[in-house]
Amino acid sequence: MPSTKALAEVELSIPSRPEYVGVARLAILGVASRMRFSYDEVEDIRLAVGEACTRSIDRLSNGDETHTITLRCLIDANRLTIEVRNPLSAMQPKEVPEPASAEFGGGAPEDNLSGVLIRILMDEVDTEEQPGEGVHLLRMVKYVAR
Amino acid sequence: MNLKVETRTVRDGVAVIALSGEADVYTSPRIKQEIVDLLNNGTHKIVVDLSGVEYLDSTGLGVLIGGLKRARERDGDLKLVCDNSRILRIFEITGLTKIFDIHRSEAEALEKL
Repeated sequence: MPSTKALAEVELSIPSRPEYVGVARLAILGVASRMRFSYDEVEDIRLAVGEACTRSIDRLSNGDETHTITLRCLIDANRLTIEVRNPLSAMQPKEVPEPASAEFGGGAPEDNLSGVLIRILMDEVDTEEQPGEGVHLLRMVKYVAR
Repeated sequence: MNLKVETRTVRDGVAVIALSGEADVYTSPRIKQEIVDLLNNGTHKIVVDLSGVEYLDSTGLGVLIGGLKRARERDGDLKLVCDNSRILRIFEITGLTKIFDIHRSEAEALEKL
């Protein structure tokens, strides 16, 4: 978790609908491209954010598309922290699985796949509930290579 | 960027679905429908050409996995064409190169069906 104030912050709110995930991806592409990330790292961040938003839509209750997902980007010299914030009251929380749980044999694999991708693509991932603010958030950090 | 889906029958029971654009949570239902329609109409051997795909997420991967499973249940198969290193990397890091046959060209994939 960032311990100091970020150099800059960018915030975007999108409706919890599949057609807006691409908007979040475009925004994060713009943010990450302005930092000292490689092309591959920018693409990793873009995919991770897409997956995080997709997970949010999946978890916001029962196909109700009226919720808002907020993407908060904290830009520092050596890292990008991205918080994907969802209304806690509407969330059906599930843990983001560790990469070791990537098993494919049946059922609907997308959920595990998205969690595995986020864990692999980003350097740090954690989830947090903030009952005071009524927020469930997925926090992801990517460090700029030295 | 959206997704373009072009399907053509190669021979009886064999078809190619060529995708271009972004295969994500918004567009993947179209891919799923295309695969399901082919399978229901007796086309059980399918090549999905990802050569034009610039973005693929877990939803797209899930649709391809479902398509492979359903095709094999009907004694068919689903093979992929992909030469984009970025897309190939997604298959690699998720371990999906172990369950999919991924070919460099459509001709090669069709030959293996």
